[in-house]
Amino acid sequence: MFCRLKVCNFCNSLRASSFSSAEQSFTVVLGETKNEREAPGAIPVYLVHWIIAMSKRKQPDSSSPADSLSQNERILYNVIHGKQDMGIWTRDMKKETNLPDKVFNAALKTLQAKKLIQEVVNVQSKGRKHYIATEFEPSKELTGGAWYSEGKLDKDYINLVKDQFAKMIYQQKVATLEGIADAIRKTKIFKTEFTKQQTEEIVRDLVLDNRVMEVKSTGMGEFASIQIGKVCYKCKSKGGTRGETKVGAMASIPCGVCPRISQCTPDGIISPSTCVYFAKWLDF
Amino acid sequence: MPATHFGVKYAVHIITSHFGNLVAKVCENLLKRGPLTLRLLIGFTELTPQQVKNSLLILIQHNCVQPFSVDQAEGPKVTQYVALIDNILHRWRFAKFMTVVSQEFDKECELIIKDLLENGRLTLKQITEGEYAVKDTVEKSFLKLVNAHFVERCPAPEAVLEEASKDAPKKRGPKSSKIVEVPETIEQRVVAVAAPSAAMRFSILTDSETDAHGGSSSSMSTGDKRKHDALELDEFANNEVVLWRANFEEFIRCLRHKACVENVRARLDDGAALVLRAMLKSTRTAEKKVKTENSVPVSFSTIYEEVINSEAGRNLTCDRVKASLSLLCDERDVDEDESYSVDLKKILELAQNDEVESIVLKRYGRDAYKMFRLLSTSSRALETDKISDMTLVEKKETPTILYKLWNDEYLLMERLAVTGARQAQFLVWKVDRPIVWKHVLDEMFHAALNLSLRLAYEDEQIKEVQLLPAHKRTGPLGKQWQRFRNVVYVMHASQLKIDDAIMLFHDF
Repeated sequence: MFCRLKVCNFCNSLRASSFSSAEQSFTVVLGETKNEREAPGAIPVYLVHWIIAMSKRKQPDSSSPADSLSQNERILYNVIHGKQDMGIWTRDMKKETNLPDKVFNAALKTLQAKKLIQEVVNVQSKGRKHYIATEFEPSKELTGGAWYSEGKLDKDYINLVKDQFAKMIYQQKVATLEGIADAIRKTKIFKTEFTKQQTEEIVRDLVLDNRVMEVKSTGMGEFASIQIGKVCYKCKSKGGTRGETKVGAMASIPCGVCPRISQCTPDGIISPSTCVYFAKWLDF
Repeated sequence: MPATHFGVKYAVHIITSHFGNLVAKVCENLLKRGPLTLRLLIGFTELTPQQVKNSLLILIQHNCVQPFSVDQAEGPKVTQYVALIDNILHRWRFAKFMTVVSQEFDKECELIIKDLLENGRLTLKQITEGEYAVKDTVEKSFLKLVNAHFVERCPAPEAVLEEASKDAPKKRGPKSSKIVEVPETIEQRVVAVAAPSAAMRFSILTDSETDAHGGSSSSMSTGDKRKHDALELDEFANNEVVLWRANFEEFIRCLRHKACVENVRARLDDGAALVLRAMLKSTRTAEKKVKTENSVPVSFSTIYEEVINSEAGRNLTCDRVKASLSLLCDERDVDEDESYSVDLKKILELAQNDEVESIVLKRYGRDAYKMFRLLSTSSRALETDKISDMTLVEKKETPTILYKLWNDEYLLMERLAVTGARQAQFLVWKVDRPIVWKHVLDEMFHAALNLSLRLAYEDEQIKEVQLLPAHKRTGPLGKQWQRFRNVVYVMHASQLKIDDAIMLFHDF
């Protein structure tokens, strides 16, 4: 079939790399002139489209386990497979397949045993069992995104990443998002590269933590190398360490953090003279 | 921000501890019920007319109450009394006011202010005949204080309000009424009407009172006379006695400036703080009102001159001052003729944010702190899941934390029901600044009141030990005494700090 694609050099290169790998981004250019297009070797445009579509479709391996499924198993598999990377909840599966419970459970087990489907944790509703075809990576909605692992927020990992980001910002004094991402890439501490969105998420979290502050470049002094008006980040405290927020006047006395302040009156059961928090505070 | 429920309670507590129960009862009625006539006051307080009269006199003498009447076309004029809660709260700050004076003036000025604060209102004669020093130097110091606006003439004994409320602010002239904030409460209106005109307020022109002292008047007012040429002398001749008092507004302005400078020091650096201090110092007398949003525009040369006036400022170069100015002022704050103005409101708002956030952090934890910060900067309400994603907090924990904050009035919540193929309900959350700020201020007044009450309680507990002579306070008694002294130290420090916070939210 490919031999006939002798229309131009480009098509020749297609043949050389063979269609079955990642060539979605290629565009097939047909002959420029009318003569070329109508030359005996040329192919009609629809055929080219068909060839590309065929090449994108995964050809099921003849020896794959999916072939040896019973009818019920096939129905169930198709339902799960049809949901692609979103997966499906067991109750929805039952509704859609309409299989009796016993048959359904057996089919589910077989499919799992054959490693055609797998269970995934859905962060939105952890109590509900979700399944997904093994062929797909679970979607972000299902896993919760990059900061989740096995359905749980990976706090240790996040803190580690945040600490490294804060360190980079501190070293650069004033850093832009691109600057931070670059510096992190160069350190090679993390195996995976962070996307722009992930970088933004981490920096935003540092800002919310009040460890880093957002400033606009004035183009003067420390901002000299940064375009005026560009958003930059600066560490609030030395080393961008955690837990150095200034304690306010209210927060430093018992009443400022008292859970019972709304019930406290000068002559009530809870009052300044009977207050246990005061007693504890003034226990020298 | 208007005083809150606990603000009133705190004010009554201050009056009780300064003037006793009778005066406090009168004051409480005025604070809670608003302006009252003498007859109504007697009725509500159930005190004898003489007691109420005396209480009112004390309160007026100490600038805590202002009499006024409404100008009616028909019927007799009835005098009413309105409590000035701000002035009552200022009574707790006298020590801070004294510090301001001691930093700017000499010992003599300090003594004059002390006298005025203790006695509320005094004539010049009373001031000069006080126990201090030579009369001549006292008068010079007094002149200095008046020129610096730290001492002012007392307001009219009885303000006359015009009936239509719209007319009141117009008195200040058609041009300024656009700029000057229209007074809202009756208290503000009365204060505005009672205040002497700007020229009169700080005028030390000769009058019957100072005439009595012969030659002294000429020595003290030659410079000022020229300034106020336009004023008619006849007007003053009619005044029987001129009373003077400390000008709280000026003190609050100084403290406000100080707070701004300290906040800039913490947020930016010492250099920026120095520059801001210089800017505010050189324009202090030009400020129209205490709560001015932007500092008065000032040229670079004036700023630099003032910067190098101080010892710390002398090692700042022009470039460094310019760099600091670029941090302090946005582009729009710089005029074409290169005069700079700083957004003071923004500086104070950031300080207020810090205070509220630190309460949230201490009370509800770091996750809640992040959510509160996110929501207070967000321009619109955010949905629960979105908050969880943006703050990197576990999805399951987010609603619990948000609910706690909502329950304590730190957040507003709204339910959104979406009808469609799938019915769903979303909760959206947001921070409503005015509501939260008012709530926090009320809690601050409550906390200040509690500190004061607890201190009184501790004082009561130690009374017996306190009466013992020092050499008998040994063993367990000595320990008790030592503890009490620590308690007093900690409590006083906390009271000062909490009052700073109250000023930040209430007065600045």
